[in-house]
Amino acid sequence: MDPIRISVYGLPGVGVLWFLTLVAFGVFGWRAWQLIGLLRRGRHENRFDQIGRRTWHAVKNVLLQPRIFGEQSIGLAHFLTFWGFMVYATCFNWALLRGLFPMLPIPYPDEVKVAVLFLEVFSVLVLVSLAAALARRLFYAPPHLHLSFDANFILALIALLMLTMLFGSAFRNVAEGSRGTAWAPFGSLLAPAFAGLTPVTARAWATAMWWLHMIIVLGFFVYLPYSKHLHLLAAPFNVFFSGAVTRPLGDLTVPGAQEDMASGASRWEELTWKQLLSGFSCAECGRCDRACPATASGYPLEPQQIIQKIKTHAMQQGLARTRDASGNGTPKLIGDVITESELWACTTCMACMTRCAVWNEQIPIIVTLRRQLVSQGAVERTVQDMLANLTRYGNSFGKSDRMRARWVQSSGLKIKDARKEPVEYLWFVGDYASYDPRCEEVTRKTARIFAQAGLDFGLLYEAERNAGNDVRRVGEEGLFEMLKEKNLQALAKAQYRAIVTTDPHTFNTLKNEYPWNGNRVPVKHYTEVLDELLQAGRVPLKKKLTGRVTYHDPCYLGRYNGIYDSPRRVLRALGLEIVEMPRTRDRSYCCGAGGGRIWMEDKEKLPERPAENRIREAAALGDVPTFVVACPKDIAMFRDALKTTGTEGRIAVRDIAELVADAMEG
Amino acid sequence: MNLIVLLKMVPDTVEELNVASDGKSLDSEYLRFKLNDPDEHALEEALLLKERVGGKVTVVALDAPEVDDVLFMALAKGADRAVKIPADQASLGTVATARMFATFLASGGGQITPDTLVLPGSQAIDDLEGEVAAYLGEALSLPYVGVVSSVSPVNGKVVVLKEFSGGMRGEYEVTLPAVLGIQSAEKPPRYVPVAKVRAVMKSAKIETADIAPPELAKALVVERMYKPEAAGRAQMLEGTPEDIAARIAGLLTERGII
Repeated sequence: MDPIRISVYGLPGVGVLWFLTLVAFGVFGWRAWQLIGLLRRGRHENRFDQIGRRTWHAVKNVLLQPRIFGEQSIGLAHFLTFWGFMVYATCFNWALLRGLFPMLPIPYPDEVKVAVLFLEVFSVLVLVSLAAALARRLFYAPPHLHLSFDANFILALIALLMLTMLFGSAFRNVAEGSRGTAWAPFGSLLAPAFAGLTPVTARAWATAMWWLHMIIVLGFFVYLPYSKHLHLLAAPFNVFFSGAVTRPLGDLTVPGAQEDMASGASRWEELTWKQLLSGFSCAECGRCDRACPATASGYPLEPQQIIQKIKTHAMQQGLARTRDASGNGTPKLIGDVITESELWACTTCMACMTRCAVWNEQIPIIVTLRRQLVSQGAVERTVQDMLANLTRYGNSFGKSDRMRARWVQSSGLKIKDARKEPVEYLWFVGDYASYDPRCEEVTRKTARIFAQAGLDFGLLYEAERNAGNDVRRVGEEGLFEMLKEKNLQALAKAQYRAIVTTDPHTFNTLKNEYPWNGNRVPVKHYTEVLDELLQAGRVPLKKKLTGRVTYHDPCYLGRYNGIYDSPRRVLRALGLEIVEMPRTRDRSYCCGAGGGRIWMEDKEKLPERPAENRIREAAALGDVPTFVVACPKDIAMFRDALKTTGTEGRIAVRDIAELVADAMEG
Repeated sequence: MNLIVLLKMVPDTVEELNVASDGKSLDSEYLRFKLNDPDEHALEEALLLKERVGGKVTVVALDAPEVDDVLFMALAKGADRAVKIPADQASLGTVATARMFATFLASGGGQITPDTLVLPGSQAIDDLEGEVAAYLGEALSLPYVGVVSSVSPVNGKVVVLKEFSGGMRGEYEVTLPAVLGIQSAEKPPRYVPVAKVRAVMKSAKIETADIAPPELAKALVVERMYKPEAAGRAQMLEGTPEDIAARIAGLLTERGII
């Protein structure tokens, strides 16, 4: 039986197939060309480095989809749908090739027993997966899931493909005499239902099924690049080009930038091509929204919407047939398409980016748009004051740089000046640990631990400046550059073998964003140094601590830099029992301070701030009275949250260094 | 509009201020200078006026530490011209300062056109008399209004809002040209990104205008400078917040205040 040996109003089947194929590929090619042209209008960015690593990354994440499995309810279903699709795409192309070139000495896939078995088994698996997806959509849809027509239409098309495949097999079975075969288990199962058909009718039905199947696939092929299932085509490239493969997550530098990126993007063309590709890759799954602490607290930000709005806007503007030359009526990227309050709501906690199944990069886009606002001076009052302070005094507190190391005076210690004598560790203390009265005592304790452990360390004293992590994420790129230059000048005058920081934000930017020009030194977080000192037995502990504590992973230490175990080892070495919160390690929940949020005031009336949500999570653990943090901003945020949630008596927020200091007291 | 903003550098009180060993001046060891706050508002008001009705903004300052940074900042914010008069600001008294600016403006450096507004800050933290603007008006024979918090151009004149103590305000119509001592701009001063300031530093130039200082540089001589001395009349209340509140209420009643 050869399905192309038919005639449609006198036209031979093979001609019809050729016609349909050319139309489908033509439309598809035209659309692909259009979309690639759109990307090429974005700014240059070099994402072509380390092709080998990129390929491996893409193969692993596209074929195995580890991030899809991050959500149990849909993980396996998506995985099976994907692989079903792959098998089908192969068999479809095989069938198409055979149909277009009848002279080829190959059989159709449905004439090969193994292929039929594979197709049948997979079509049933796909149907089951679709049923799971349908049930999820109908009965337990997560609140952020988009129940769009687009999505349902595609699911219906896939289901139809599977059914034409199975029924085609059944009709063939009947046409060939209804001999059930283990090679076509489901076709054989369905065949008895059509046993009454004559072989000729059955064959006609089988041919119809074959054509229906081919036409749906070709239609699907045309529809694909016009729908959200564009992600099927774009995502593998997006994963391949993802920044995290070759560079640290915590580096906002645009590799190979050819334009001045400091003033961000005012129009969609000023985003990079990779940032524009994000929209094509987004499958609207909502993982980012579900992970976003700003979304959860009711701020007007949904990371997925940032990506989607840019996509829609770029397509409308970039693909419009008639361009309005005057520019009137063109919606502005910032203001009309994306609002300022959306942009300022982001805490840059990295939860969205580490969850995104297609490896989109939401935070750099948000920062790019913030840069535009900053370059226009459109910054809220409190942030403006902070930036002015940082410009003038090098710290966000607006205090004299000579007050930076004032805490040393009351520490009872003589701490070396790293600019005057060589030290092993240069301690980059950071603004909060230096200036915030809530953190000063912890800083003194940390200093005493270092001293008693015999660590050879020193400070930059008044030459230290804010490292610029949050400044950069607010979008003040010029100020970041200035702070970086000043710090690098001060560091160049000091002699040290490694840097230790208190603040994870400082840690991130020193480690990942400062150009060390070949003179890179190890940059460590103090929890890492404490861990090393404890493991080496250098910390004179006088007693074992007891009790249950929970540990909060700071975003910039955990998700950004993968340091999860050092602080936990420190706590265990002290004798404490760690009870993990449900959201822990890379799922840790942001305190809400990052990305400059600590300098902003909430204009919205919020049901629950991120820090309050987190404290309630800890309170729900039951009998865990100590909430351990490893970031000075966490001290500020969570001690406030204790007051506003009324959990002050039940939970204490302690810095990990305070606990080490406790264990050193007799 | 021809908008001329006068800028003055004042000691930054973020740094600890100490009296120098001569007992008559500030110890310069840690002294840093910043732009006087009302002057920053005067600049903002000028920029707002320029945005509203067009025109040109010129900023002028006497020489002082860190003044170049401030002039570049003003250019980055949108001023069209920056002029530095290389005479030490600290060596000149109020009257002499006003004369310097008057000479500059009359000498063609600043050209008083019929649509000119000269905008000094109303006061400076190291000179709370607020007299420079008034002297300047006198020297140039121009109308003067001080402690201004809003300027609106109307039919070739300006309507200004002047603040008085006790929350009173007065509205005045002023003919141009005029001198207005600005207390605060209608909006908080704008933020100018560092990258913009740096770009301006590379591309723009600060002009200099040599003006000979008047013969009498200072009419007043500082005899002694000192930190406020505790008078010892303060009474500290101690106890629980409730006790203290009750005592305060008692004291206020006792003295007939409430």
